[in-house]
Amino acid sequence: MSARIVMRLTVVEAVATTPEVVRLTFAHPQRPELPAWEPGAHVDLRLPDGRTRQYSLCGDPADRSRYVLAIKREDAGRGGSLWTHDNLTPGAVAHVSHPRNNFGLTVEARRHVLIGGGIGVTPLAAMARHLAARGADFTLHLCARSAEHAPLLPELQALCGDRLRCWFSSGGSRFDPSTLGAPADGVHVYACGPQRLTDVIQDTLKRTGWPAAQVHVEHFAPMADENYKPEPFDALIASTGAFIHVPADVSLLDALRRHGFAMPSSCEIGVCGSCECGYRDGTVIHRDVVLPVAKRQDRMMPCVSRARVNVTLEL
Amino acid sequence: MSATSAPRHVEAFAHAAGSVAAGVPGGATGWHGTLLNIHIAPAASYEMEQLAEAHCVAGRGIEGDRYFLGTGTYSPKPDTREVTLIEQEALDALARNDPPLQGGPIQLAPIDHRRNLTVRGVPLNHLVGRRFQVGEVILRGGRLNFPCKYLEELLGQPVYLPLYNRSGLNCGIERGGIIRPGDPITLLD
Repeated sequence: MSARIVMRLTVVEAVATTPEVVRLTFAHPQRPELPAWEPGAHVDLRLPDGRTRQYSLCGDPADRSRYVLAIKREDAGRGGSLWTHDNLTPGAVAHVSHPRNNFGLTVEARRHVLIGGGIGVTPLAAMARHLAARGADFTLHLCARSAEHAPLLPELQALCGDRLRCWFSSGGSRFDPSTLGAPADGVHVYACGPQRLTDVIQDTLKRTGWPAAQVHVEHFAPMADENYKPEPFDALIASTGAFIHVPADVSLLDALRRHGFAMPSSCEIGVCGSCECGYRDGTVIHRDVVLPVAKRQDRMMPCVSRARVNVTLEL
Repeated sequence: MSATSAPRHVEAFAHAAGSVAAGVPGGATGWHGTLLNIHIAPAASYEMEQLAEAHCVAGRGIEGDRYFLGTGTYSPKPDTREVTLIEQEALDALARNDPPLQGGPIQLAPIDHRRNLTVRGVPLNHLVGRRFQVGEVILRGGRLNFPCKYLEELLGQPVYLPLYNRSGLNCGIERGGIIRPGDPITLLD
């Protein structure tokens, strides 16, 4: 994991912003100012067992005295959000890393279209604050089940005014990315939320000719190292002797599917274990969080794990 | 990182470097230094915390520090790490980009460099194999400190090359006690 300094911050406020989302405010117990950050940045929150979870900063980037996170309680999740909801109450100490940004605003853009699905609105909330403070041209689309389930809704309404468009599925309204129309110079789209939302946005914009450089997507994925740089490699299929080339921007799972292998999968972020398969003769870069160490000698999760140069798969 | 691994320190004068240096005469004498800052961190990669006074424990380290607790990045690897020191003069050189090995000046504050004691007027590179006193505490120079890429990654600053050969001193504690910023530092023997 890429190293970042961890601070012990104090929870100064914990407020429910929806029935499932708590808005947490943190301050440093000794220092008046926290490390600076850019809109779109996230921090790692360290859990007591040493695992970390990434959360986007959703407060005001200009306010150095506070960090604000909004965390959704995921009852079916892996335990991080439950621990957070149960333990991070005012006065508690949280172990929070310095911020890092993989989802920055494009400074030269003349117009910004922000699209947040559910809790995915958090990095976009920080972007909206930053853009609103500068009088920049932007629209924030907030997609949620209902107003009651829309994180940070009152503060986003106050901040954005008519630049906020709400899409509540319970009322039958859904954001349609085709309404963004044809690409225009200097217009940048930023999307964060469930993969089904970001996929449809990316697919639609690609079809309508938007350059990839103008479409920015952040996924909530539990990758241990978000700075990992995938490299291409070759997979040899043991049963047939066929070689499958896996480009840097394609997962092994997707490459196998393209070659006709009907691979089971579910999460596709290295969490669920559905796509497990056997391998031999190769150096595998294990990037999942599910496979026990004892099995990593000959089993792998092709949704996120890759190989150095080549690998032979037991398929 | 294991929070429970017992710290293992190599006694400073038993270290491969310290044991040799102890038998070789030389080094600056007649200097008088000052302890400027004390910092500790509870575990690997946690931010350093400034102390107004620190309790040094012989053979173990500074109370509350990761190398006292056995929670440091390098705790699993036996070495001399009870206390680490760095010269303020080295930090001053980085701040004036001297020598100009990187893009420009590097401001490395005492809270950032991750050594325990920031000192002024102490020729640390001369103190391997030597005993010296910080306030009431007696330290033994075990080996020269060496910058690590991990620090560069943590700080997000290109400090590896600029710190090379002036990264400070790793010491063992011969006699424990309380130290405070402002304490005088003097050579023994």
